[in-house]
Order: sequence, then C-alpha cells, then structure tokens
Amino acid sequence: MKAAEGMFDESVVFVTKQGTQVRTDGGRIVVWDVDGDDGELASYPTEKLDTINVFGGVNFSTPFVAEANEHGIVLNYFTQNGQYRGSFVPERNTIAEVRRAQYALSEQDELEIAKAMIAGKIRNARTLLSRKGVHGTDVLKDLGVRAENASSKDDLRGTEGEAAERYFDRLDETLTDGWTFEKRTKRPPEDHINSLLSLTYVMVKNEVLSGLRQYNLDPFLGVLHADRHGRPSLALDLQEEFRPLFCDSLVTRLVNRGVITHDDFTADNHLADDPFKTYLSKFDEYMQEEFVHPHFDYSVSRRKAIRQQVILLRKAITDEMDSYHALTFSR
Amino acid sequence: MSSELINVSDLNQYAYCPRRYWYLHFYDTQGRNYERIEGKTTHENKSTRGDWVNELYLESEQLGLKGKIDVLDIDDAQPVPVERKRAESGEYYRSDELQLAGYCLLLEEHIDEPVREGAIYLYETDQRMHVPITEDHRETVRQQVNAIQAMSIDSIPSLTDNPKKCEACSTREYCMPEETVMLEPEQAEGTGFEEVISE
Ligand code: SF4
Repeated sequence: MKAAEGMFDESVVFVTKQGTQVRTDGGRIVVWDVDGDDGELASYPTEKLDTINVFGGVNFSTPFVAEANEHGIVLNYFTQNGQYRGSFVPERNTIAEVRRAQYALSEQDELEIAKAMIAGKIRNARTLLSRKGVHGTDVLKDLGVRAENASSKDDLRGTEGEAAERYFDRLDETLTDGWTFEKRTKRPPEDHINSLLSLTYVMVKNEVLSGLRQYNLDPFLGVLHADRHGRPSLALDLQEEFRPLFCDSLVTRLVNRGVITHDDFTADNHLADDPFKTYLSKFDEYMQEEFVHPHFDYSVSRRKAIRQQVILLRKAITDEMDSYHALTFSR
Repeated sequence: MSSELINVSDLNQYAYCPRRYWYLHFYDTQGRNYERIEGKTTHENKSTRGDWVNELYLESEQLGLKGKIDVLDIDDAQPVPVERKRAESGEYYRSDELQLAGYCLLLEEHIDEPVREGAIYLYETDQRMHVPITEDHRETVRQQVNAIQAMSIDSIPSLTDNPKKCEACSTREYCMPEETVMLEPEQAEGTGFEEVISE
C-alpha cells in the first residue's frame, strides 16, 4: 500500500535568522531580511504550511498574522537558543464534536489509552537498547507487561517511572566515550546530554502539539499527565511513545557521530548559536527521514508518523476505532 | 428526526462514499468547506446566452431537498437542467447522475410538469451528454435523502465497498482506511476491504 499524500512533510518551517520578518505575498509566505539587505530569503505556499517555529528576533507582519489565523497556521515562539516561549493558535480549531468526545471520555477510557501509550514507550525503550547492542533488558519486558495490566493511573505512573529509571541507567552504555547521562535531570539542565534531551523533547512535543491542534483535539486535556494550567498534558501523553526512538535516538546519534561536542555548549549548558542552528537543521532532517512503518507496509517520515498517531488517537477518542494503537517497533 | 433540507450536491457526496460524507459533514477538520470550493469552480464560468437561465435556486419541503441549478437550458419546449462537471477521466459517474436527478425532481415540482431528462456538461471534452431520469434514479434519490437525514455523528458509516474510490478521496488522509483494517481487521467486515486483508 502507499501512504496517503499528505502535507505533513513540508508543513513545518523553522525561522532562525535574526532580524527577519515573516510576510505574505500573493498566496505565499515569505521570510524577508529586514535588517540586512538580502531581501527574500525563502518562500512557501501558504496552503501547505501548518506550523511555523520562530527563534529569537523574528517578527511577523500584521497581514501575515491574519493569514495565519485564516489558514489555521500555528506559530510557536522560541528564544534564540530554543526555549519555548508560547504559541499563536488560530481560532478555527474548535470542532465541537471532537472536543465533546474528548471531554466525555471516562476514567476507564483514559486509562486504556494511557496504557497503550506507556506500554508502547517501554517497548520502544527496549528496542532502542537492543538496536544499540545493550542486552539483558528483561526487566523492561516485565514492566511493559505490568503497564498493559495496570489497574489505575497511579499504578501506571509508578510502572512508567520505574521503567524510565531502568532504561536511563542502561542508555549510558550506548554513548560514546566522554559522554554520560549521570542522572536524567529536568531543569535546569545539569549537563550537556540532559540539555540536548530537554531540547529534543520540547521540539518533538511541538510536533505532537501541532498535530493535535490540526486534528482538533484539546492538547491541554490529558489522559495520564495531570491537567495543570498551561500544560499541554495530552501532547505530553502522546509524546511518551516517541521519546526513546524519535528523541533519545536523535540525541545519541548527534553525540556519537560527533555532530555535537562538549565545546558546542555555553557555560550555562545551552547550545551556542551556530551549533544550535546545526541542531535545528539536523532535527528537521531527522523528522523528514523515512522508515518502514512497522504496522503498515510503506515508508513514512517521522513527522508524518507522528501525525498519523494523532489521527489514530482521535479515532480511539471518537470511537471510530476500538482502541488506541501506539507506534511500536519490536526490533 | 431531522427534517433539514439536504443539498442536492450532498447526494453526490453521499453516493460517492457515505463515510466521506459523514466526515465532511461532521468533521471537516481541514477547514476546507467543500461546498464553498465547489461553488467557486462552478461560478467562474457564467454564461449569458439569452435562452439559458443561470443559477436557479430551488427548495422543497416535500422532497427534503434544496439546491442551485447551475444552468437551465430553456431552448426547447422542456427546460433541461445542466450540471457542469470537471472530470479528468472524461467520464461522469452514477453519483453525478443522482445529483442531476435531484435537480430534475426539484424543477418538476417547481414548474409542476414532469422533467424527464437532464444533461451533464464536461469541461474537459466540451461535451454535453443527455441523461434520461429514470424511476430508479428517483427512488434512489428519495432513499438517500432519508438516509442522509437519519445520519448522526455517533453512527459512523463503514468503509467504502470500493477501495479504488479511496485513492481520489480527499478525506483519505484522516480516514486511513487500509491502516484501519490492518490495525483492526474486524472493521473490514462487509466492506470492500475484506479482500485487502485476506491478500
Ligand atoms: S478514504 Fe475511502 S472509505 Fe474513507 S471516506 Fe474516502 S472513499 Fe470512503
């Protein structure tokens, strides 16, 4: 079979050049060099885009914002070194029926979906380790079974936490000399590897978030992560299954291939400007890289696979399908 | 339940695939209103010939239908609704005939005289094809109006009986028919996808 033609792959744009403005020009979106005199730097057909990520000193013309609103284009704002600042979300993304179904999910429905996501994450964690030649991961296998049989969200969270700890212990072995996870810390990033992981989680979370918005799910209403004001819980939930193979594996790849070195970080553990640009282009490349889908017999890009999981999640929520099917790789 | 008037153009959508109609009607997530798009393409070519009437809007509680006849040819003794189509294949489909039949039914109620034929004009070949409206067309239109009126958000139509249609379907991206049956084979039962999974 062939994958449906989508607009997923070229649908996300990153603008990192400082002193630029994003404008519209005859049905196209144009990045214009305002401070310098390079003029038009890039242009994209408005119809194809659904997300624009901007970093630091980039601004938008007023007609562009109106256009983004009309065409349902989400704008994500980041600082120059990739810290997420906020988003502009177009008005039209509120299809009442999808929301109604989402709000009507019972505790049990939510648990079923969450179990599939966490079991998928644990499965993928094992797969990443085994691809890297790390053996003896039976404990993860057992935890995966425990996740599938969890009787409550607390039970599931406990299992997830234990699995994450075991997994990160072993992930260390996959890194080339001079790199170590020490302990997975959140913020502030205490070491370079954690800084890269955090950055990658933010980037992938935004891919998930754009997908959820595109398909009219409420990203703030989660199935497992607790809803806290301003926290995109559903995006965090759906991101779980992508963490090992779409996030951690990118980070290990960048480090092991020497694309990113310790010298690329500033004193406060952020990537310096140029390495950050390298990172973004590698990230985008990685999202567009294709793999043979483990459940469907065709190739898809990682970006498209994420959007497909959003659609499958929506189908589970609106009862078009009986259950949620996580994206899992068994080898 | 609902006695909402059905758009004649929806007969075409529904006949193509009820599930597709269901998506467009209840879940038009891409924000692209297909009626508006259709409106655009049909209006760009306005004819001003004297014996043609353009855009005659009709509705009928009795039939449960409403719609705009693109062009009404009143050259001959009997007015003939003309439906203009873009069809790369150079052919029209049964679903186009049903749409035309819907217009004929509306027109005959309006003028209180039987309308026994319509015409389909294909841009690509610049051909005008004469389509007799049969009792079978009429019956199918009535059945479809009932079926559409009875549709609800919670009753999801099954996948199409003709998987070929999916290739050209604009909702395929999120209908994911083949993917759905690969993950949940029971969804193929009674549809054209039974063969796809047994392959
Ligand atoms: S993809 Fe196929 S089954 Fe789905 S709505 Fe379109 S025609 Fe119907």
